[in-house]
Amino acid sequence: MAKYAGRNVIVTGSSRGVGDLLTRHFLDEGATVIGVARGPAGCEHERYRHHQADIADPAEVQKLFALLRTTVKTIDIVVNNAAVLTSQYAMIMPAGAAQAMVNLNLLAPFLVAREAAKLMRKSKSGRIINISSMAVSLEPEGDSVYAACKAGLTTLSNVLAKEFASFNVTCNTLGITAIETDMLKQLPRDKIDAVVARLPIPRYATADDILNVIDFFASERSGYVTAQTIYLGGVH
Amino acid sequence: MASQAAVIEIIYRALRSLNEELEEDKRVALAPDTRLFGPDASLDSLSLVSVIVDVETAVADELGRSVSLTDDTAMTQEVSPFSNVTTLADYIVKQLAQG
Repeated sequence: MAKYAGRNVIVTGSSRGVGDLLTRHFLDEGATVIGVARGPAGCEHERYRHHQADIADPAEVQKLFALLRTTVKTIDIVVNNAAVLTSQYAMIMPAGAAQAMVNLNLLAPFLVAREAAKLMRKSKSGRIINISSMAVSLEPEGDSVYAACKAGLTTLSNVLAKEFASFNVTCNTLGITAIETDMLKQLPRDKIDAVVARLPIPRYATADDILNVIDFFASERSGYVTAQTIYLGGVH
Repeated sequence: MASQAAVIEIIYRALRSLNEELEEDKRVALAPDTRLFGPDASLDSLSLVSVIVDVETAVADELGRSVSLTDDTAMTQEVSPFSNVTTLADYIVKQLAQG
């Protein structure tokens, strides 16, 4: 039987990159996926519901969940994947770009987790998984705000884990290493290659590396696993 | 405009839902003067959060309007909206009327 049959899964940033990968994985494993992105859908599937929304806007998140309360009614798994990266030395980083990263990389996961928890509370179960980055550990030059947001995401996740534990909602973080995505293409390839070469396991992440940990956190058997961060590739 | 009776019913429903999770001796009375917040409150802080979430959600879903019960306006009222069931209902009706 498919691993996620009958489950409702929200994936933010679903139309591209890791979000698209996760969306297709959950669909392949029988879930209904509610994909959220600012742009159009990245896939078509009978169990895929696409919502165009800016999840950094509290009003849009509330509107989305008001709709979900009357349509799918329950949410089993949330993957906070949507993120934006502007890599730039701090002294020339535009304030607007920094603010946009804080809004989408930190505020948005909070807003989505908050609204999802209100639904999960009714069913007394749920899994919230936040996608972080090796940037937290590697602290690359140019990624000050991005890395800080992702570090904050772990703290956010750990506090939410405590607040949501009484209704069996777990909250965990997956720190991914470099994988071929649109976001990665924004960065100089030689620099990324050099970073990857210095990882304990010196290679790019594969789709299965990511899906393996996602499945672990999302598993019904992982109800006693919360407030944890797993980094890929030996990063810590 | 939402009637006070309709809003009180929403609050009672939230309290009933809370009571389902509480031990019998800790259940909250469904009465207009039931204190929701403060030293004599019938609810602990987590229970109050649960009631706030249920009430906000029900107001949005059933009355088609969203109210925030924890924003600055609510927190700076001379009489706390959470003093008891009646003050909470009055506050919600007032917020809904203001549009």
